[in-house]
This record gives sequence, C-alpha cells and structure tokens, in this order.
Amino acid sequence: MSDPIQVRVAAVRTVSPKIREFTLEAVSGQLFSFSPGSHVVVTMKGTNAEGKAKVWKNAYSLVSDGFDASRYVIAVRLQDESRGGSVFMHTQVKEGDTLEITPPSNLFAPVWSAKKHVLIAGGVGITPFMSYLPEMKRRGAATEMHYSYRGDATGAYREELQVDEQTPVTFYDGAAGERCDLKAVLGSQPLGTHFYVCGPESLIEGVQETAMELGLPSSNIHFEAFAAPQPGQPFAVQLEGSGLNIQVSEDESLLEALERSGVEVPNLCRGGVCGQCRTQVVDGEPEHRDSFLSDTEKADNDCLMPCVSRARSSSLTLSI
Amino acid sequence: MNASTDIELDPAVKSRPDYPPVAIDARASHQVFIAEDNEQTSLTALSEQCQTGEKLSIVADAESLPVSLAELPLSTALYVSGSEGYLWDIHNRLTEMGFGVDKIHLLAPASAARRLFCTHCYTTMEGVAHTPYTCTGCGRPLLVRDHFSRILGAYVGVQINAEDPADLPATESLDESASDVKEAC
Ligand code: FES
Repeated sequence: MSDPIQVRVAAVRTVSPKIREFTLEAVSGQLFSFSPGSHVVVTMKGTNAEGKAKVWKNAYSLVSDGFDASRYVIAVRLQDESRGGSVFMHTQVKEGDTLEITPPSNLFAPVWSAKKHVLIAGGVGITPFMSYLPEMKRRGAATEMHYSYRGDATGAYREELQVDEQTPVTFYDGAAGERCDLKAVLGSQPLGTHFYVCGPESLIEGVQETAMELGLPSSNIHFEAFAAPQPGQPFAVQLEGSGLNIQVSEDESLLEALERSGVEVPNLCRGGVCGQCRTQVVDGEPEHRDSFLSDTEKADNDCLMPCVSRARSSSLTLSI
Repeated sequence: MNASTDIELDPAVKSRPDYPPVAIDARASHQVFIAEDNEQTSLTALSEQCQTGEKLSIVADAESLPVSLAELPLSTALYVSGSEGYLWDIHNRLTEMGFGVDKIHLLAPASAARRLFCTHCYTTMEGVAHTPYTCTGCGRPLLVRDHFSRILGAYVGVQINAEDPADLPATESLDESASDVKEAC
C-alpha cells in the first residue's frame, strides 16, 4: 500500500446539524490531484468509551474538486450508531490538528464512455458527487442529478451545488413529502446513459429494482454502498499462520482488531466493497456483512471480508 | 491436454471469451436479432421463441448496421449470431451506440474458424482453421494463440520459429484443439 500522508486540518465547518466538513492541507510537500468519486481513509487516534486508546480508520469521499491539489475536503456525517469514528471527528478534531490519511483511491469513478450521466444521491450520499460535478462541467458531459434528503439534517450542500443548464439538479425534501419518482427518472433516459447511486441501502435497492423492472442493463447502474462497519457480538479469533489469539470486542471490526494486534491485512475501502481484505476462514462460521462476495461464496463460508464481517460462531480460525 | 504435441493451448487463457447459452430477455422492451447472413439457424430458432417486446430482425455487417438502432431505448436486448470476429465487430459497434454490455447477447459461433491478428505486421486474416498459419501479410509462420482481443475480435498470432527457422511443428486443426481445451476444463 502507498505511504500515508500527514495533513493539517485547515478549517472545520458545520454544513448541516449532522454533517461537518474538514479542509485538509499537506503538512509538507504536495497532495495528489484525484479523479471524481475518490475517497481517502482517515486514521483517527483517540480513546474509546472506557478510556482506552483506540485507532479508527474510516473512508470518506473527497468533496472538493480533484483538479485542485492544494487541499482535500471531506464531509463527515455523525452516525447514529457510530462506533466512535464519526463522533471523534465531530468532537475531537479541531483546526490545526494533524491527521493521517491514505492517498486517494477510487472505487466509484464515472464511466467516461457514457453519453449521459444520471447521479442519484440520498442524504450524505451527495458527497462523492461533489467531485463529479466540476469535472463533468469541464468535460461538457451531459449530466443530471436527483438529490433526496430529509430536511436540514441531511440536506447538505444544497446551496453549493452549481445548478445550471448543463448539470440540472432536482431536489426532493422527504420532510416536505417530496419523493423522487425513480421509474420516471430511470425510464426516460437515452441510450448510453449510466446511472450512479449513493445513499442509504433503501435508495440503492430501489434503483436496482426499478432498473430491473424497466429492463435496463445492470452494467449501466453503479453504486457506492460502502458503509462503516457496524458493531456486533464479541468473538475470538485464532490465527493459524501467526499463532495469535485475538479478542474482537463489540465496537471494533475484525480488521481493526487484527491491526491492533500488529497483523496487516491489505485494505482499500474498509466498507466491504473492494475485495482487498479477503481472508481465508479455516474454522468457524462467518457472519457476512459485505457486498463483495457472491451469495455462493458467502454460503461456502471459507473466506470473509474482515473490514465489515464478523462471526456467527463464538470463534473463528483464520489462515493468516 | 496432450503433452506430446509442441503446441499447447492453455485452457486457462482468460481473454478467450466463452459463449454461454442465450435465453430471451423477457423484460426487454425491444428485441433485436442481428445475423451475419441468412444461415444463422440458432438465432432464427431463438427469435421464433421470443414472445415479448417489439421484434426486429437485421442481416448486416458492423458497417451497415442501421443508424436508427441508436434511437432504441436502453431497455433493448440484442442477440447476435455469426462468425466470432463478426460477433465482436457488432458488439463493439453496439456499445459505441450506447447499448449496455449485459443487453448484448452473443450466440456461440457455429464454426471454430478464427480471425487472426499478426503481431508482427498487423495483418488481420479471416477463417483461420489451423496452426501454424502462414501470415498473408509478412509470410511468417504464426502460432495461433488462444489470447483474444475483443477490440479486434481476433486471436493473436506470433512467429513460431523465431529462434530456429528449421523448427516448424506439424500443422494442427484448431477445431480439434478447441475440443481439447473443452475436455481439459
Ligand atoms: S477493505 Fe474493501 S472489502 Fe474490506
């Protein structure tokens, strides 16, 4: 994996009651420019509820223009069931602090051969599209956006969005009873259109189901589904390769527990979509929570994605 | 595979397309059947089975595909039948028009004959049925490999006796090799 980058928090801004925005600048040297849809993983070193030192690593979409390498901007939504990462960002991180991030990587890039791009955002799912719009404008690409949110709590960046003829945006405020008619939006697009969805699972499923009903090619539907790992029952892990025994607590992910014990596992999204962290299971029954493995692979139970998945049995034995 | 021959086709070549059986896509609003000529019997059979959507049958090559196809909706399914090189020419033309790749269904080609691309002089040859094959462009004896370029719709040919001009293996039919590969899988 590429070397981490040290960044200074140049500004902190409240975008909406639940969303805070952080502007990051390189401590030394230069940042990389990045392609639309890129994210970075932020390492947060803090303490957990019991006062013990704890490291979180969360992936956040870059919301700034990838052309501008002088700064990166990320938006962090305070998660209701946060295991601490977003709470840490909201309560601990101040201007002038130093953070460690990975170089940008992209699991949600636009398909540039598309004749038209339709962006469908729900709530904080607007974030990856913030870096789409400036590039779409530069390229003169036909683009339209549909943005659903619920009142001020999740409707970030409504003002900042550069709505114009080339990139029209339709807003739907759920709190005011407005709804995006997916059938109408998906059904009226010309040949060569690609669709990009980011938001809650219900929105992603809604788009997938509607697309299937309408007979649209699933190869033209792209979605970013990565979500922070959710807590679960604690379990024990035996590592066959290194002989280690590790306890995974309820509020940490298996990947975090491995890293805490000095075991490095390749990873990119930390949200169960990229496939990088795939690890072999020798014994025990995994509880699959990723969207990378196919249903058959999940049923085989001989591998799992430790960034989000946990154990259904009280212990797991991994080959590493 | 038969290890005693000099030419071994690697069953694990990933670039070589496979052509799973094609069924009618019942959700499609338009059903387009595209054939290289009038002898594409499995395509005709498939089209006869098709009961849903608006049906359209075309006999054309990639250059003469009607431009009006580009006015069809995204929910159009297309079924293509012909030689392997033809399938990919049409496939590429259709994706250029904007059809989604999982709406383009290629029927398994009836013949094992290949389009061959010479990596030395870039000549493309049609209907290649055996290996080694003498390049019609540069005259080199080419080993017909299983590596396939979807953009060219062709298999890759490389000179077989580059190190020792006297070392020319016996000619093998590609038909047989193809069935060898299937057995090996
Ligand atoms: S890190 Fe991407 S799937 Fe686990």
